[in-house]
Amino acid sequence: MAINPDAESPESLAERLRLTLAVSGAAGAWEWNLSTNLISGDARFASMYNISAAQAVAGIAPATFVSIIHPHDQTRIRLAIGGVLRGAEVFSKEFRVNLADGSLRWLHARGRREAADSTHFNGVLVDVTEQKKVEERLRVAQTAGEVGTFEYIDGFGTATVSDQFCRLLGLHPATDLPVRSINALVHPDDTPIILGERNSGSMSEGRVEFRITRPDTQEVRWLTRKGEYVSDSDSKARRYSGVIYDITHSKLIEKKLLLLNETLEERVRERTLERDDIWRLSRDLLGIADARGVWTSVSPAWTRTLGWQQSELEGRTSHWLEDPAEKSHIEEMFTKTAFLHRLRTKDGSYRSLSWTIVPKEGLFYCVARDVTEELENARSLVEAEEQLRQSHKMEAIGQLTGGIAHDFNNLLTGITASLSLIQRRLKSGKLEDLDNFINAATTSARRAAALTHSMLAFSRRQSLDIKGQQINEILVGFEDMLRRSVSENIKLTMSLSADVWPALTDANQLANAILNLVINSRDALADGGEISVETFNVSLDANAAKSFKGMHAGDYVRICVSDTGSGMPAEVIGKAFDPFFTTKPIGQGTGLGLSMIYGFAKQCGGHVDIQSMVGRGTEVSLYLPRAALSEKIPATPAAASPVSRGRTETVLVVEDDPTVRLIITEVLDELGYKAIVAGDAHGALPHLKSNQPIHLLVTDVGLPQINGRELAEMARVYRPSLKVLFITGYTEKATIREDFLSPGMDLLTKPFELDALGAKIRELIDGDR
Amino acid sequence: MTNRSVDEITDDRKLSDIERDALTEIANIGVSRAASSLRKMVDRQVLLSVPSVEVVTHQSAADLIGQRETDDLVAVTQAFSGAFDGRALLIFPQKNGIELTRAVLGADVSPDQISSMVEEALAETGNVILNGCVGTMANMLNQPLSMSLPTIKRGTGQELFTVQCSPPEQGLVLFFFINFAVEGRDIRGYIAMLMDVPSLAALKVLIGEFIARVMHDDLGNTGLTPAE
Repeated sequence: MAINPDAESPESLAERLRLTLAVSGAAGAWEWNLSTNLISGDARFASMYNISAAQAVAGIAPATFVSIIHPHDQTRIRLAIGGVLRGAEVFSKEFRVNLADGSLRWLHARGRREAADSTHFNGVLVDVTEQKKVEERLRVAQTAGEVGTFEYIDGFGTATVSDQFCRLLGLHPATDLPVRSINALVHPDDTPIILGERNSGSMSEGRVEFRITRPDTQEVRWLTRKGEYVSDSDSKARRYSGVIYDITHSKLIEKKLLLLNETLEERVRERTLERDDIWRLSRDLLGIADARGVWTSVSPAWTRTLGWQQSELEGRTSHWLEDPAEKSHIEEMFTKTAFLHRLRTKDGSYRSLSWTIVPKEGLFYCVARDVTEELENARSLVEAEEQLRQSHKMEAIGQLTGGIAHDFNNLLTGITASLSLIQRRLKSGKLEDLDNFINAATTSARRAAALTHSMLAFSRRQSLDIKGQQINEILVGFEDMLRRSVSENIKLTMSLSADVWPALTDANQLANAILNLVINSRDALADGGEISVETFNVSLDANAAKSFKGMHAGDYVRICVSDTGSGMPAEVIGKAFDPFFTTKPIGQGTGLGLSMIYGFAKQCGGHVDIQSMVGRGTEVSLYLPRAALSEKIPATPAAASPVSRGRTETVLVVEDDPTVRLIITEVLDELGYKAIVAGDAHGALPHLKSNQPIHLLVTDVGLPQINGRELAEMARVYRPSLKVLFITGYTEKATIREDFLSPGMDLLTKPFELDALGAKIRELIDGDR
Repeated sequence: MTNRSVDEITDDRKLSDIERDALTEIANIGVSRAASSLRKMVDRQVLLSVPSVEVVTHQSAADLIGQRETDDLVAVTQAFSGAFDGRALLIFPQKNGIELTRAVLGADVSPDQISSMVEEALAETGNVILNGCVGTMANMLNQPLSMSLPTIKRGTGQELFTVQCSPPEQGLVLFFFINFAVEGRDIRGYIAMLMDVPSLAALKVLIGEFIARVMHDDLGNTGLTPAE
């Protein structure tokens, strides 16, 4: 480069050159004279060192050459200079310099010795700042973006590569690499990174993904290559400019996602399997039915429980499995969520199933549990309880039998002993005082009759003659007997309200009940005390009635028997009305007392209430409903009334027991009636059909073949106004006589007093007079 | 230049940046002398330069070459002993070796002649280069060094480096990348100096002395002072 120092001042020239060169980036020339050890240069060189062109031509010392070099690069350049001074032939270094204007530039100094013995080192100095910046940007971009670049010209054996390219492949950094070395890293199944060597084809300009095995770590990585062919102006060969980058992470995520998807399916499958297991293994019968109750699907438990195959069950309702005798439950599926029904098994037996139905989206999801065993267990429990009760009953009957035997033996002893004595007296002709024995026998027989009556009352099979009665009159007529039944150390008080209403009851049974209560009180007063019998009216409103089970609001006559005795604990009161319950030892009581009274009170439409405290005495109240009729009713005489005599009326007697028949005939004859007798209905009917006058039919109810009730109906066909008197030991159907007896009929219970028979006959025959 | 293999080497065996720069310059002086000798020998333009130096393990050296060269390699090898002991290898891809021989011998030699002369020519060329390089290094470091006669080895990088030294796991390789420019042809090659750890440590000391000389003597010897 020619320099003309005369054209203008060196300063302005240098400045101009500097500016020109700064923008042109042109190279400066330099020469190193090793013999003088001076480095001279051209204008560009001068401008860099801020010296005049003349100075530059004259040369500067290496120390000055080094002085503007950036401190970081100085050592390196000084070492290189040392190399040159000691024989190195090539100098090629890049370094930074701080220029006089304060700017930092990158320079590339390149030079070489002309010959080994030459003392001159010629070179150029190029400003590579922009190139460096671009390179730096590219390097940063490659490093930061982890993008490696490469260039490949078709047919060549090597490719030009960047450091980052090498790093991505796990290779030692290099500027050129053999294509075979590069492709050798790629997985055999994948596309090679570079194609084109030895006509191996062209590279795609799109994205290509491939795996490599890094030679440094043996790690497998996923990379992507992308690039394009560029036609170089100076060559016909195609140049491929490409980039590679790592996509292992994305691939990993992709794989994880795939795996997640797969495991999701797996999990869903597992869950489905679990549900399938429930469906398959459940002991309960599971099923899905459509809106008509047709099974669309049933679980294997159906087959296990009922024996029918799935194919037999699906596609229809289970109506065909229902017991024809029972109501169909198919309807219940639509209306109920839970019910019980039975389905037939293949062997013809039935299983009881407890159903739970959940309707959803037009389908019925059904679960049935086989409760056959549970139900059978419950049934056998009931049976066992029944058996237990039965055994208690047998035990009680044992107690009762003991009690009855004791009572009856006493009574029979009284009767047989009296009869023996009468017989002996008659034989010996001693007829005085016979009445005493006869009375004793009669009393015993009556007591026996009362005892059987009690038993019937207990069994509620006694026929009660319930009608309006004057309670006070019954009690007064009974007072003597009560007083006799208590001992001297007991004071019995009767406090009867004068205005007590008439009440519905059976006079004999009421007397019996009160006697029983008094005797119970007497037994509780072993050391003496007081017993009081009271009557008064009570009106129970609905609330008060509620406190007595099964009692209605209304007016009642209350008969109260209380004592100052030992009383009863609560648990004894609870059982006091149980049949056969007794606190007395076996043989001393039947335990029928209170339960009999309870049954009697209930039959009358009343109630019994018991209040007791240990050591404070007991109070038993008998509530009898007030009778509708208000007029005074004469009490049924407890004692025998004068015997009514017949007036030759004709009475037809039908009785299968010859003894009873004989006695009745004797009585009728004695009373002046004309008696016709028959052993059964067949014997009686001809008489009834005949024209002979018959004023009264006296018939046993319990006749063979045609019973007394039927006979009476037949008799009424021929003789509509015929009076009928039934005689019965007990009659199941005649518990309440009003249900049994038509007008003009009456009932007499065995055993009966002859006088009572006479009175009834008279009463009936005279009835319509 | 970052190199994983260098990173693996423990600190006391690692060259610092300055040491590597200095060693590169020493190698450059060496190959320059070798080039000069070659020029005289063959009367052709021969340029040699060393752009960079690495200290790596044997395995890394084998990898380095293996990655760059897929062809079989040919190596001229000579043992050296003195201040530091070891074995030097001049390595070319086989094809380049023949090319170098041809360049050195001249275009007027027929291919038949070349193939019969290849071994001999290579050994001679290698001897010049290695002597120049290794000998100069000893010279620069002011140490005496003697070298054995050259032999030729062929094989992969792996074979060259594992056969040459034992025990390989303890040895290190001073690895020079060399650019040859003969008659306008560019040929790449490598010089590898296989040394044990004590020899490398000795080399480091010597390099330090070289640096000190250059940094303190050169500019001073010129009698010049740094610019203001």
